[in-house]
Amino acid sequence: MIILGHILRRGFRSVRENAALNAVSSLVIGVALLLLGVYLTLQSELVRLVHTWGQDAQVSAYFAAGTPPAERDAALAAAKAVPGVLEARLISEAEAQAWLSARVEGMGPLLGELGADVLPASLEVRIAPGQGPATLAALDPLFSSPVFTDVDAGRDWIERLDGFLGTLKLMGAVLGSLILVAGLFLTSNTVNLVVFARRDELEVQRLVGATPAFIAGPFLVEGFVQGVAGGLLAVGGLELLHRLLLGQLRAVLVLPESAGLGALPGPWLLGLVLLGAVLGTGAALVAVLRFLLRAP
Amino acid sequence: MIRLYHVSKVYDDVPALHDVTLQVAKGELVYVTGPSGAGKSTLLKMLYGAIKPTTGKLLIGGTDIVPMGAAGLAAVRRNMGIVFQDFKLIGNRSVADNVGLALEVIGTPRPAIARRVEAVLSIVGLRGRGAEVPERLSGGEQQRVAVARAIINDPAIVLADEPTGNLDGGMAIEVMEILKAINLRGTTVLVATHDTGLMQRFPHRTLRFRAGRLVSA
Repeated sequence: MIILGHILRRGFRSVRENAALNAVSSLVIGVALLLLGVYLTLQSELVRLVHTWGQDAQVSAYFAAGTPPAERDAALAAAKAVPGVLEARLISEAEAQAWLSARVEGMGPLLGELGADVLPASLEVRIAPGQGPATLAALDPLFSSPVFTDVDAGRDWIERLDGFLGTLKLMGAVLGSLILVAGLFLTSNTVNLVVFARRDELEVQRLVGATPAFIAGPFLVEGFVQGVAGGLLAVGGLELLHRLLLGQLRAVLVLPESAGLGALPGPWLLGLVLLGAVLGTGAALVAVLRFLLRAP
Repeated sequence: MIRLYHVSKVYDDVPALHDVTLQVAKGELVYVTGPSGAGKSTLLKMLYGAIKPTTGKLLIGGTDIVPMGAAGLAAVRRNMGIVFQDFKLIGNRSVADNVGLALEVIGTPRPAIARRVEAVLSIVGLRGRGAEVPERLSGGEQQRVAVARAIINDPAIVLADEPTGNLDGGMAIEVMEILKAINLRGTTVLVATHDTGLMQRFPHRTLRFRAGRLVSA
């Protein structure tokens, strides 16, 4: 316990005495984590938005002309029974015509001349968010029946979105790893400077019987402090960016006001600070091991 | 206390020590002497584990330190005080911090360190100088700080590598008096030196080296 006290005292003293170098290290870690945080924020918001859009995913299956009402009702009941279907309803020929007339000016008289059944009746199905591909697959047997002539599933769009999200997550993992390695390298070199500046003191410590743990301990404390400070800088930077750039980002992404753009959730921010602590401590360990392994 | 059996050290095909066998009894004060390159410093570095012999056994208090790793050597050094020609003091730390370091690494509480520091500074004639930084002290005073650091944990062995090499005659004698006093309290002391005047003034057993060989013991 007493040795731990000595180690902590030496570590914090070194933080004070090497304030400039420590500030540089914290800044490096902070910038690396800020970049990661910005990416994670964008990724998590995109995932959320895509899920929001997924709520609008719907399938239109068009009935063959002359399909009896009983068969239409049966198809409606079958669609409603499929897991993942949020809502299903029938659109009659007249309803389809009225919908088109209301949206396209001058279309009403033209449709009237063409006849009442120019637009086919359809079955509209809304799919629950995140269940697009599975629900579409479950609906396939129903839509293959001869009562339907055409199906507009928007399947490609949903599958592309799912693929895009997968790519986004993979990019996040790669980017995160790169930032982690770069941060580790840069911070390790900064701590290395501190080790180099104090090599005489470390040599003396070794000669008076200090264990490797006693020699390394203060540097690990220093690295931990640098990392936590870097993590807090990143969290502060993210909050600042969120406040300053929210409006601009919403305009660039052409998002409605309701779509919102949230900051990273609390546990993620805590994760960034912890990642900073791991980064700082790991970098210090790498730097001090180089010294410790040099000679007995 | 110290035993070497057929110890040799070769640096890049150049022999620094050749087949040295010797022993130093507990409580002895022994000089290690010889011209430059004779192997004096190599021998002392081996004794505190900074370098390992190429062949042979090196026993400190009955334990072979050659196969020891960093943690084992740290334990050996805690029972050993080392004094260097260039003092090896930490320039930006106070005298008290420098002297107390050897107790800090073994987890001695700070009040106990402070008391012990003041006591050893008295022994080496630097009472009340703990707050000063080494850079402001004379060479002789700095060497006395180094001696204080070496003896603060009552080591069984003190190794002094040319401890008077950077000091003028008067200061050299002062430092040697302190080492002799430490020896009189039962500590084994090895002093590497080529100062024949000092050896004549304080006569003790002398290990003479020439070209890496022990020529007389």
